[in-house]
Amino acid sequence: MVSERSRRRVWTTSVLALTLVILLYLTGGVVSGLRSAANLVVAPFSFVINAVARPIGHTLAGAINYSDVVAQNQKLRYQLGRAELRANEAWAFERQMLQLTTELHVPFVGALGTVSAQVSALSPTNFAATIDISKGRDDGVLAGMPVVANGGLIGHVIATTPHGATVQLISDTHSQVGVTFAKGTSDIIVAGNGVNHGLSATSVPFSSVITPGTKLSTDGLSGGLYPPGLPVASVKTVTLTPGAATYNLTLQPAADLRHLAYVDVVLWEPAA
Amino acid sequence: MTRSVVPVTVVTLFLVALQLSIFSSLRFAGVVIMIVWLWPLCLGLVGRTGLGLWSASVAGVFFDTHSVTPFGLTALVALTLAYGASRLGKEGVGDLESAAWWVTPALAGVGGLFAPVLFVAAGALALDFSLWRNSVAPMMLVNALAFIVLARPVTRLARWSSGLGRSRR
Repeated sequence: MVSERSRRRVWTTSVLALTLVILLYLTGGVVSGLRSAANLVVAPFSFVINAVARPIGHTLAGAINYSDVVAQNQKLRYQLGRAELRANEAWAFERQMLQLTTELHVPFVGALGTVSAQVSALSPTNFAATIDISKGRDDGVLAGMPVVANGGLIGHVIATTPHGATVQLISDTHSQVGVTFAKGTSDIIVAGNGVNHGLSATSVPFSSVITPGTKLSTDGLSGGLYPPGLPVASVKTVTLTPGAATYNLTLQPAADLRHLAYVDVVLWEPAA
Repeated sequence: MTRSVVPVTVVTLFLVALQLSIFSSLRFAGVVIMIVWLWPLCLGLVGRTGLGLWSASVAGVFFDTHSVTPFGLTALVALTLAYGASRLGKEGVGDLESAAWWVTPALAGVGGLFAPVLFVAAGALALDFSLWRNSVAPMMLVNALAFIVLARPVTRLARWSSGLGRSRR
């Protein structure tokens, strides 16, 4: 009798839980509100855990990695110096390019404003390549805006809150970026291969002259998600499936997607 | 069950916070260890079906609100693991008190091995067919190993919070 009642209770609980999950999923609009509510509930627990775990983690990491950090710091100073030199050299070219693109009425990415933001969290799951950043709607960050860092495109904003935003990285399996190469005469689609993986492109026509090392940048086609000229990736390998009439490419992202600390949101909105 | 709901809920929320604050950045071979799946599984293994399903719903829903994957998938996988484990737990298979020392870690390892596959399958049900393009094999291996290592301490926590008392083994 008791066992029968217990079994019925289990079934009722599971059916109710499942119905709740399905209902919440189907009513997608509720999700954004739920996210804020869930954040409110989890925040005190996160605060306690961070207060306890962070100092311990930092102490251990600092003690173990001290010499590495010093070496890395020196290397970064050197790289910063070189980058500043290059930036100064590029300034004159950029000015010329801006004048030309203004005359031709073509949007030039160097002329677009940016908002700098800190990466506040990585994707909590293995199945989505996203990051959370510290700037949101109140700072002019809107859904759809491209995000750059570490010398290349890293993705675009998919959701915003007043003080934060979520960026879908170009390595996410849902990501597709229109790119161009060979002086803009060929366009292909670059797709993400998932967290911690590179990018790839399939069905590249035979007519394209493409070799390992070729650099790809956003094509900026009308109605596209990105403005033209953002570096996306370089070609790692070119393979040809026997019998096929197209190439497959494996690509190395231009930006290091594994070490993102600060990013720039490009204040450019895709055409509706 | 009623008396244990509060402690189990509090522990569940702490584990969700631990998952989001620590485990999301602490990746092994690039893989996130899913404590939010291990916890309901361990509650199931100690035979607390209702509490297992409750914690699976709470952990899954709270985790899903922080993730951009289709809403409800993590909860669905957690519910499946909790229910499956509780069938064994009810028979005394898997609990620290009644089974050999290696049974709990072994069952948890099997759960960790198949949980990512369940997630991809559930994604297909939600018409998201791109999830399989993520490398599932490393996720299966890392989660299986982590579940094996963490199974006993988490099961002890499950016994304590669900009012079963401390294990003598």
